[in-house]
Amino acid sequence: MTATLFYIFSTVTILSSFFVVFSSNPVHSVLFLIFSFFNVAIIFLLSDAEFIAMTLIIVYVGAVAVLFLFVVMMLNINEVLVKEGFLRYFPLGLLLMSVFLTELIVVFKDLEFFSSNNSGISITNLLDQGHENTKSIGLFLYTEFFIIFQISGYLLLVAMIGAIVLAYDNQLSVKSQSILKQKQVKKDDIIKLK
Amino acid sequence: MTSSNYLILSSIIFSIGFLGIFINRKNIISILMSIELMLLATNINFVGFSNTLDDLFGQIFALFILVVAAAEAAIGLAILTIFFKKSGSISIDTINKLKG
Repeated sequence: MTATLFYIFSTVTILSSFFVVFSSNPVHSVLFLIFSFFNVAIIFLLSDAEFIAMTLIIVYVGAVAVLFLFVVMMLNINEVLVKEGFLRYFPLGLLLMSVFLTELIVVFKDLEFFSSNNSGISITNLLDQGHENTKSIGLFLYTEFFIIFQISGYLLLVAMIGAIVLAYDNQLSVKSQSILKQKQVKKDDIIKLK
Repeated sequence: MTSSNYLILSSIIFSIGFLGIFINRKNIISILMSIELMLLATNINFVGFSNTLDDLFGQIFALFILVVAAAEAAIGLAILTIFFKKSGSISIDTINKLKG
């Protein structure tokens, strides 16, 4: 049952990823991107990773894809121009992609991994102790991986500051108060006796 | 599911993202979306191996990849908007200012 669902949802994911790349309207590609994120979230649910599945929906669909949609709708893009040069690069790209994909599939087809030692964090042990998925992630994320967690927080802070600095519009069209200019005003500049 | 199922699914999605970077030369937004697809493929790998190897570390690392993907999308789209404001197009071919 799980395997059948996995195959169904992975087929839908692959098809919608194809439409992300090939659709000529950027709004449609963003919507297909959201659809493939949802399908991957369902695949994660089938792999017993409930927290990552919900985080994927919240972060990707709720923030990233909406940001993409916002930018696509804000920029007025000519659809005809967007697909220019499609035929020029398509054959070479398809060739490279098929070579790459064939190599990967030949390597991965019969590959099997088994956990050889017990050095990792066993999920079944955690489940036996009564910790479900979200709780066990929290148990390790805030203790053992605390430094990485803090660094990723700093990364988000830097990204936020960078995005604000980049998008900040310092134009004259917006009326704003310049304190430096205000303090440099002399009495003679503004009051004139005639 | 075996680990090869996850590996093949993620390599197919990764290749689609690769192809998208190759063919969408006139649209940087599509290139950013292709990068998101490639990051999604790595996430599938991590969660799949977390499931097959019975190790929680894959899921924890997938969270950090989500963080990096969100930061990358925010910065990329901010650069894209100011580029569109300056030049009026988002084509790759017009980005040659660094050539001097």
